[in-house]
Amino acid sequence: MELVREERRDEAIALLLPAFRRKVFGLAYSFLRDREAAEDVTQEVFIKIWRALPRFDGRASMSTWIYTIARNASLSALRARRPQSSLSDPEVMEAVEAIDPVPSADVIVDRAAVLRLVDQLPAKQRQVIMLFYMEAQSHEEVATLLAMPIGTVKTLLHRARARLSAAAGKMGETA
Amino acid sequence: MNTPDSELDKHLQALFGGLDTSADFEARLMARLRAESQTDAAARATRVRQERARYRRAVSELQGWRRSMLRLLTLDTLGIALLLAVAVVTARPHFSWNVTDIWRQYGLYIAGLLSILIGAVPLLGMWAEQARRPMRLL
Repeated sequence: MELVREERRDEAIALLLPAFRRKVFGLAYSFLRDREAAEDVTQEVFIKIWRALPRFDGRASMSTWIYTIARNASLSALRARRPQSSLSDPEVMEAVEAIDPVPSADVIVDRAAVLRLVDQLPAKQRQVIMLFYMEAQSHEEVATLLAMPIGTVKTLLHRARARLSAAAGKMGETA
Repeated sequence: MNTPDSELDKHLQALFGGLDTSADFEARLMARLRAESQTDAAARATRVRQERARYRRAVSELQGWRRSMLRLLTLDTLGIALLLAVAVVTARPHFSWNVTDIWRQYGLYIAGLLSILIGAVPLLGMWAEQARRPMRLL
């Protein structure tokens, strides 16, 4: 806040970036399911934050404020986008492989299958699953990111995991 | 694919645990912010220039002789005229013929003096306007 008051917004952003970059990106990605679009939204979010910093009055916490901007920007981007991309798109698979550069062929097949299963989950369950595993399995963080009660997060997570387990079991039987 | 819960956890963790922006994300963002900053500064400078021009126009309007006279005289004249009228109405019954004689003899000087006083008020007002320094916007 001191930096903002002193018109040193660039420094303020440089401090906020390491703390919130990944979370904002994850949130955008959970909405958009497209790495490039999520990065664009993340950039837009930080530019919006940079512009709006002088007006931040501290009534809400900084993280709540940032996540609200991120959610709104992601929803706008989602609405503006015509075709719905999928987590199992080739570019998403490339991104997955980029996370773990040398997985075995079996692992790639398994992960691709899991990714497709996640893709088939209802939107809220999919978001909760993605953010839960992105945020070191913290219910509180997911609840803050999505502005949901922790109980709702736990319920959605439980349902998503049950669906995934069931679907994975079915796939195992047919394989 | 036979995936127990721990296996599912492992896959989900591997899929989403390392999710992050590309390596050049921060550099690209900072470059955009620098560009934004320059645009912002240019827009602010334009706003300041417009504000200064507006201020100068406002001051020159205030300094316009006729406008100032009209504006200031209207207020002063109304106030003074009202006070004089009240004073004359109140004091009239007590006037002796001598006072009327004095008025007849020195009335012209008194009227002149009053005119100078009335005229001096807007002149003082204009002087005060001119003497005031322009406000710094930045």
